[in-house]
Amino acid sequence: MPHNDTIYMAPLHLAGRLIMENGGETYRVEETITRMGHAFGFNEVECFAVPSGIFISYRKADGAIETAVKRISRKGIDLTRVDAVNAVSRRMEQEQLSCEEVLALLREIETRPPKITRLGLTAAVAMSSAGWAAMFGGGLMDCVLAFIVAFFCQALAFALDKAGMRSFVSTLMGSFLATILPMLFHLATGLLMVEQTVAACLMPMLPGLAMTNAVQDTLRGDMVSGISSATSALLTASMIAGGALMGTALFRLLTGGVL
Amino acid sequence: MNIVLESLIKLVSSFVGTLGFAIFMHAPKRAWLPASTIGGAAYLLYWALLQLNLYEPAAIFLGALLGSVLGQYCARRMRMIASIFVLLAMIPLVPGLGLYRCMSFLAQEMYSAGADAGVRAMVDVVMIALGLAVGSFIFRMAIRTKPAKEEPGK
Repeated sequence: MPHNDTIYMAPLHLAGRLIMENGGETYRVEETITRMGHAFGFNEVECFAVPSGIFISYRKADGAIETAVKRISRKGIDLTRVDAVNAVSRRMEQEQLSCEEVLALLREIETRPPKITRLGLTAAVAMSSAGWAAMFGGGLMDCVLAFIVAFFCQALAFALDKAGMRSFVSTLMGSFLATILPMLFHLATGLLMVEQTVAACLMPMLPGLAMTNAVQDTLRGDMVSGISSATSALLTASMIAGGALMGTALFRLLTGGVL
Repeated sequence: MNIVLESLIKLVSSFVGTLGFAIFMHAPKRAWLPASTIGGAAYLLYWALLQLNLYEPAAIFLGALLGSVLGQYCARRMRMIASIFVLLAMIPLVPGLGLYRCMSFLAQEMYSAGADAGVRAMVDVVMIALGLAVGSFIFRMAIRTKPAKEEPGK
């Protein structure tokens, strides 16, 4: 074991932050950091992670305990990065990697530019909404309109994100548009199954990941993470509900009718 | 509609929907097709069980269970993290239509219908999570009883 054990905190922190920021689960952060700490040769490694922060401590060769706390703000979901960090920690079990090598590998993962452009991501969301429209029992017309509306909503979400808006603002506006646009189209043309199309456009915004994570964390015994994920899911769901209610209410005000 | 054609539409549409999510969530490229196929298979099982008049939460549970087991098997074979496959597999089962119906009823001041739809959607979400949890439990039991041919990985 080298003399200065303090340097090992940097790769441990970076690995944990990368997993958490990119949508990984808290248990995965704890497992990965503990595994990496053991691979570095520390016997006593403890990690406690919640969705908003990571606490790491390990016992150095001289017997003192090194501890650090890192505040995390979640960014988005990037499963490729989570998988890559996991692969690095697995590789450390197989072969001896120095602290600098691990740090370089993790920095490369952090700075690696995303392979798909924003336009590509927007098109992917639109394609997915078209799929959900058909899955919910809609016809060809519903799929086409779901594609267009979801494309528009996602483009708006990216634009608002770029302008520095909080994500729940774009969820609120997105769900408002996803509700009112199909309704107006239905009013104008008489085509379309409104319910299926709106639900298909709302699917990409739904906090499916946070909802299932919340139940799974709770089942695993991680109550703090469970409640944190549940609160985040509830907030997103409330924003979608608010947007959809505003859309429906405005439509009723404009037309005076029930859809 | 012809039942074969209809199930084909369900399979393809949930496949396409999951594929879009896989791209959006930046899943590794080689996971796109297997993850979407598992998503389609999980939804198809759920839909087929509903056609057989099974109780809806039970159908959701079994669909999520299938997605979880297939996802973890695939993750092990492809040496990737299981979350990629398991998360994507359960996305078609998320009750988007049910949640929208709930909001739509509430907006029309039909509160009891809204509460009914909302509670149903919540039950579905809990069933998805239970299906995933039981699926990973079954998978772990299965690989423990069988002697490992390859070194354990994820």
